[in-house]
Amino acid sequence: MDLNETQPTVVVSSPSGRISLRPMTLSDVDDYMVWATDAEVARFCSWEPCTSREEAIKYITDSVLTHPWLRAICLEDDRPIGYILIMPVDKIRKEIGYVLARKYWGNGFATEAVRLVTAEVFKEMPEVERVEALVDVENVGSQRVLEKVGFTREGVMRKFIVMKGSVRDMVMFSFLPSDPFRY
Amino acid sequence: MPSKETNVQENSKESSSEMEIDSCTLKAMISSPSEKIHLRPMTLSDIDDFMVWATDVNVTRFCTWEPYTSREAGIAFINNFVLPHPWLRAICLDDDYAIGSISVTPVDSIRGEIGYVIGSKYWGKGIATEAVRLVAAEIFKEMPEMERLEALVDVDNVGSQKVLEKVGFVREGVMRKFMCLKGNVRDMVMFSFLPSDSLL
Repeated sequence: MDLNETQPTVVVSSPSGRISLRPMTLSDVDDYMVWATDAEVARFCSWEPCTSREEAIKYITDSVLTHPWLRAICLEDDRPIGYILIMPVDKIRKEIGYVLARKYWGNGFATEAVRLVTAEVFKEMPEVERVEALVDVENVGSQRVLEKVGFTREGVMRKFIVMKGSVRDMVMFSFLPSDPFRY
Repeated sequence: MPSKETNVQENSKESSSEMEIDSCTLKAMISSPSEKIHLRPMTLSDIDDFMVWATDVNVTRFCTWEPYTSREAGIAFINNFVLPHPWLRAICLDDDYAIGSISVTPVDSIRGEIGYVIGSKYWGKGIATEAVRLVAAEIFKEMPEMERLEALVDVDNVGSQKVLEKVGFVREGVMRKFMCLKGNVRDMVMFSFLPSDSLL
């Protein structure tokens, strides 16, 4: 997949076949709203819950479709239950982020998506030396996702990020091309 | 700003009228180990002292920059980087000559990164420790919006890690393959000091 193409059409499935990743489109707006309007989902995200379909359409158009690397996480019926994205930090580091509708928490879907995407990043982007994730100290569920994939918990960075007006302690995780995946 | 020519000053601390006795200086005089240091702004007149440490490959080993090879480049560095810097100080002994520098650079609105460099002739005397301690004691008053003072140290730079530990910085963890240093991707140790932390 060429990083310069904003909307590649390849769909990637996890080995188990339970989830697949594909670009998001505007026609995903109603499924998007299921998680984007949920305050519990938004709790550790930088964004506030979405309050209208118009707002959702605007956000998908301005921020999702334009994102250099974002994929819908879909179940067998090809409808998104969340998304996963990669952000460049610098030439050698990428940061991974993901969000899942609450109804689907606890099934290992985020874990599969993170494992899939991390492997893909190192294949597609050979210059990347490190994939990292920053997780709020209180977001234990998300920390478990990364641990289950095999990310290394490097430490707690105190007073690291401002989230919705509060300064938060964040746990730093990383995965290197030489690290083994946990299954 | 103290002038180097004024060596007529008394050697007694009470009559050092040429030197501004701010709280940094006072603490330095009271609490320094083997050498007394103070911090002051760095200027172009420090160029020759700057060149002493900036040309030393032992000093630059864990710095992102290569040793300086010309006075002109040193002057350009002072003009382009030192003078406009939001917070950079020369580290000086009693004679007010610069033997190194220390700086706090904003990372974002709440984080500042501390960095320091000392001439190798002065290593092993607790000077960097004292300089870092002085900065950690005062910087949050000068930059009240800062919530976190951090430092990133190469895993192999044990000397610098010991400086931060002796001051009371918290060693948060090793960030693997975190930074490119002179063409190599290095593991870096992350340290932090918060306004609520205690100096050792």
